[in-house]
Amino acid sequence: MENEEKLMTGEESLRVISDMISKTRVSVTQASFHLLLWGWLIFACSLSEFLLWKYAGWADSWYVWFAVIAGVVASFAYGFAKGKRERIFTYGTKIYVWTWIAFFWASVIFFIVFPLETGDVAKYMLLMAGIPLLISGVVLNFRPMMLGAAAFWLLALVAHFGGDTVSGLAMPAAMIIGYLIPGYLLRKRGSHDTFQGA
Amino acid sequence: MTPFRELDPLLHSQLRLAIMSILISVDSADFIYLREKTDATAGNLSVQIGKLKEAGYISVKKSFGESYPQTMCRITDLGRQRFAEYVAALKDYLRV
Repeated sequence: MENEEKLMTGEESLRVISDMISKTRVSVTQASFHLLLWGWLIFACSLSEFLLWKYAGWADSWYVWFAVIAGVVASFAYGFAKGKRERIFTYGTKIYVWTWIAFFWASVIFFIVFPLETGDVAKYMLLMAGIPLLISGVVLNFRPMMLGAAAFWLLALVAHFGGDTVSGLAMPAAMIIGYLIPGYLLRKRGSHDTFQGA
Repeated sequence: MTPFRELDPLLHSQLRLAIMSILISVDSADFIYLREKTDATAGNLSVQIGKLKEAGYISVKKSFGESYPQTMCRITDLGRQRFAEYVAALKDYLRV
């Protein structure tokens, strides 16, 4: 577009508008990084907590969850660094990012304020985490994330109604289905792939 | 016969319309992204961004990225309104 004052016919104007709008797309590289980071971290923490409690008899096995702090730091550092390099922010990206930030703050409040009253937190976390996962799946138009959200809610029921052993495995299973499988599928599409923005 | 609504001359130019069409569909976009998508020269793009900014159709925020300056552009409420009016006038004109 070299001619700075080039005037157009009506048809040309419409073509310019539709061409430009179709070029704005959402990058998925950030999404796969966070899914894989949190998928592996929560999988490792929940499974080791369960195994340490069940087979090593360690009553305070929940200490393993302090590893989440490292995950929060890594997640924010990566998100901030990538965000500074982003050359475009679509409304889809904005909804995606703020939904997960809302989930993060809800989780912080949940863990700081309610831990004694709630007892086992896995089922509540699965119920809450299903919401941003579903919204992300809708924004990215990515079905494995939507199915992952449905699995989170089913596994929240399993965590509630299952016995000691079954309940303890609900969270690691949810991480495989809801975070790790969609995360690897997204990564497989490659850093060049994009989805139409919302 | 209903007279045609006049097309906004500021938007009825290929590059400025392209810039506005990109910005209407995103929250914000930087100068390099706009240059890549519109295939315009930096100088020309800079001039047209300046005109849109001057008219209050877009806002421009300059910051320093990792090791380079970054210019982020965002459509304003006025720009959104003018773009909608332009599209309505265009539809009128084309009878679509």
